[in-house]
Parts: sequence; C-alpha cells; structure tokens
Amino acid sequence: MKNFKVFFYIYSHKIFFWLFILTFILQVIFWKFTEKYRYSSEIIPPAPSDYVVKAMSFGDKEFLFRSLVIRLQNAGDIFAGFVSLNKYNYQRVYDWMTLLDNLNYQSRLVPSLASYYYSQTQNKSDLIYILNYLDEHSSRDIDKNWWWLFQATFIAKKDLNDLDKALYFANKLALNNATEAPLWTKQMPAFISDKKGDSCFAFKVIKGLIDDSESGKRKITVEEMNFMRYFISQILDKLKKQKFNPQNCYN
Amino acid sequence: MRQILFYILKNGLRDRLYLGLFIVLTISLAISVFLGSTMMVESNISSIIFGLAISRTVVSLGMILFVCINISRAFDNKEIEFILSKSISREQFVIGYLGGFFVASILIISPLTLLIAVIYKINYLGLFYWFISTLLENLIVICFAVLSSLILKNSFSAILASLGFYAISRLMGMFVMTIDFTDEVSKANHGDLGMALKILSIIFPRLDLYSQSSWPVYGDWNDSILLIILFQSLIYLPLLIFMSFHDFKKKQF
Repeated sequence: MKNFKVFFYIYSHKIFFWLFILTFILQVIFWKFTEKYRYSSEIIPPAPSDYVVKAMSFGDKEFLFRSLVIRLQNAGDIFAGFVSLNKYNYQRVYDWMTLLDNLNYQSRLVPSLASYYYSQTQNKSDLIYILNYLDEHSSRDIDKNWWWLFQATFIAKKDLNDLDKALYFANKLALNNATEAPLWTKQMPAFISDKKGDSCFAFKVIKGLIDDSESGKRKITVEEMNFMRYFISQILDKLKKQKFNPQNCYN
Repeated sequence: MRQILFYILKNGLRDRLYLGLFIVLTISLAISVFLGSTMMVESNISSIIFGLAISRTVVSLGMILFVCINISRAFDNKEIEFILSKSISREQFVIGYLGGFFVASILIISPLTLLIAVIYKINYLGLFYWFISTLLENLIVICFAVLSSLILKNSFSAILASLGFYAISRLMGMFVMTIDFTDEVSKANHGDLGMALKILSIIFPRLDLYSQSSWPVYGDWNDSILLIILFQSLIYLPLLIFMSFHDFKKKQF
C-alpha cells in the first residue's frame, strides 16, 4: 500500500496525462460512430397539437400566436438564403395555418401569408391547400373576410387556372354584405363566368345588379352603371352572335 | 410599518432593481419592436403583443428574484431579528414587507403601461384591464415568493419554488383541460392522473387567465373572466398572506 502511494506520488502526472490521451481518443472514436446521427432538418415541421399549444402559450395565446406566425413566416430560412417554395410540405403549411387560426382568427397575418407569400409556389397543385385554408378562414365571417375571398378567386383563376374553383369563390364573395366592400365584389361571378364562357350567368348577375339599382334597392354610381350597361351590351352582342335569345337565360 | 415599506423601496434602489428592470424592459421592448417590424402585416400590433407579454414575464421574474434575495439577506444579516426587537408585531412586519414589494411592483408596471398607452393607439380599457390583472398576478407571485422565502430561508430554494409556482400556475389552464381530456380521448385508466391534476388545480391559482395581451389590441376581454380574476385574487392573496402570518408566527430566532 505504501509502495502504491509512493508510486502514485511519483507518476501521477504521467498517469493523468495518459488518461487524458485515452479519453481524448475515446472521444474521437465516439464522434466517428455518432457523426451520422443528426437532427433531420425540416422546412415545415408537423404542426403541434392543441394540447401542446395550450402548454406552450403559458396562458397567453396571443403572444404564442405571434411567435408561431414568425416561425411560419421565416420557415425555410436556412441561414444561407431561403428554400424554394416548391420544396415545402403544403399539407403541413395548411395544418399550421389552421392551428394559428384557432389561436386567433381576427388577425390578418395568416391569410396575408397564405395569399401573398405561400401562394407563390411553383408547384401549382399545392395551391389547393392555400385555397382550402382561405375558404375556411373566410367562411367564419364573410363580411369581414371578403378581401381573402377575392384573393382566393384571384389565385384560383390566375395561378391555378381553375375557373370552376374561381367561380365558387366569386359566388361566395358576392354574398358579402360589408359596407366597405366595393361593387366589384358583387360583379365578380359575372366576370369569372364570362371568362368561363357562361355568358348567360354573367348576364344574369349584372342584370340583377342593374335591376337592384333601378328599383332603389342598391345605390350604384353613374360610372358603375355605365360600365355595367357596356358589359351587358358586350354580352348581348356575344349571345346574338351565338344566335341565343337572352330571355332563355331565365328559363 | 411605514418605515419597513420605505426600507423595502430603498432596498430596491440599493439592489438596483429599478435600474436593472428598466434596462431589461428597455431591451425587451426594443426586441419587441424589432420582432414586430419583421412581420409581414400588423407590425405595430405585434410589437405591442410582444412588448406586453415579455415585460409581464420580466417583471414577474424580476420581482421573484428581488423578494427572495432580499428576505434571505435579511435573515442572514439578522435584520429581521433587529426589526422584530422593536415594538412591531410579526403580522405588521410581514404586511410592511409585502406593502413595500407591492408598491415596488406598481412603480415598475405603471410607467410601462403608460409608455405603451402613449406610444401606440390601442384599446385603453383593455390596457387598463391588462394593467390591473398584471398587477394582481404580480401580487400573487410576490406573496408566494415572500411565503417561500420565510419558509425555506435559503434564497436558491425559495427562487426555485417561486419559479415553479409561477410556471405551474401559468400552465394551470392546460392541466384543467387535461383532467377531462384524459377521460374523453383515451380508454386507459387516467383516473389517478386526473385526480392528481385536480388536486393541483385546487392548490394553485389560475394565473393562465390573467393579463391576456390580446385585450389592449382586440378588446376581446370577457366579463366573466375578469370576475374570475378578481375573485381568484381576493381569495388567493389573503390565503398566502395568512399562511405567511402563520409560518412567521411560529418561527423561532
């Protein structure tokens, strides 16, 4: 025992040095075996459940909403530029947007992100998720959300090139009774159906608006009336060329 | 008692509580404005929300640290024995300390609320409710910090206990949700978990309902929630104060 103490006293610095070298080598070997274990980097992670959200909010849902919107807004920031939108999982984007709507549906943040940012995807089939979200968001209150229905109409027509879908949103848009909504929100179904080739429906929509104005149901400015009369005359010309009687539109 | 109150306020100055919190709050507000400005739309609203939520948390955490360290130091320096050797009852002593901490928290939260009211165009009634409920939340946290400091003496344990209390009370909404959630969603026997959570919900206050940062922005407060906050505070504050009286009465020096 005494010899061991003396031995340790004399050689302890060497023992610890070699122990240090040994542990360093072990650390390098450990690194070699674990090097491939990495976090899978996902542009859009799965949306958390309501339960997790409740816990994360610590009682302040609004603060969590804004924090998560920042997360969704900056998704794809890989600290060396941004990832192309066609690489995003839009099903997950939709899940996140729905989740955020449950936290706060009054805010313009999420529909803005959907309409102005996420709708720019190069993968057009993903737009259906954006349109579904905008539809659900706007349906909560059409009068307050008519602008997002217009955005949905625009995206369906211009980006997705799906006139049936565009007409669906345009018809929904025309249902709004918001005082600040311009008249073209009511005319939108006519424009879309005209584009679709359904002149009869376009004629009926605009004629209905003119009738409303003439019966005093709705106040429409002279300029708008002139435009609508011009629109009607154009449609009538089109129908005449097709040898179709406009009266038949009402049958 | 008034002397104790002023002594605590002076302690705040000595410990640089006001200066420290002022600096931290200024930095938090600056970060809030920065974060808000990065938003695509509603930059101002987002800045307000971030500012309110972060400052609420900062003030609560700051007060916990201040209270726990202050009382623990008073024990270590024999200040408590010294004060109690004068003609002052133990209840008066506790009330004096609590009063000092309460006034200190009012001094911190009021300018912050005023600043937000002056800078941003918001729902002033909503901000007023936010101010009151933040104040009540802080009072509960302070009362608990005083109680834990009196019971535990060790400042580190008292700080941990107070932080735990604050976090659990803020999570109480989720716990309450879980009581029904476990029975509804799963067939597994969660009776014990439900019972444990129920017991927790009896002991801890519902701080998750307090100071919603959406009130000053959307004005979406609910009168019944305000009443719950009021009654919760009216019940829980005296509960903590009486418990402190009881504990401090029994303490031997």
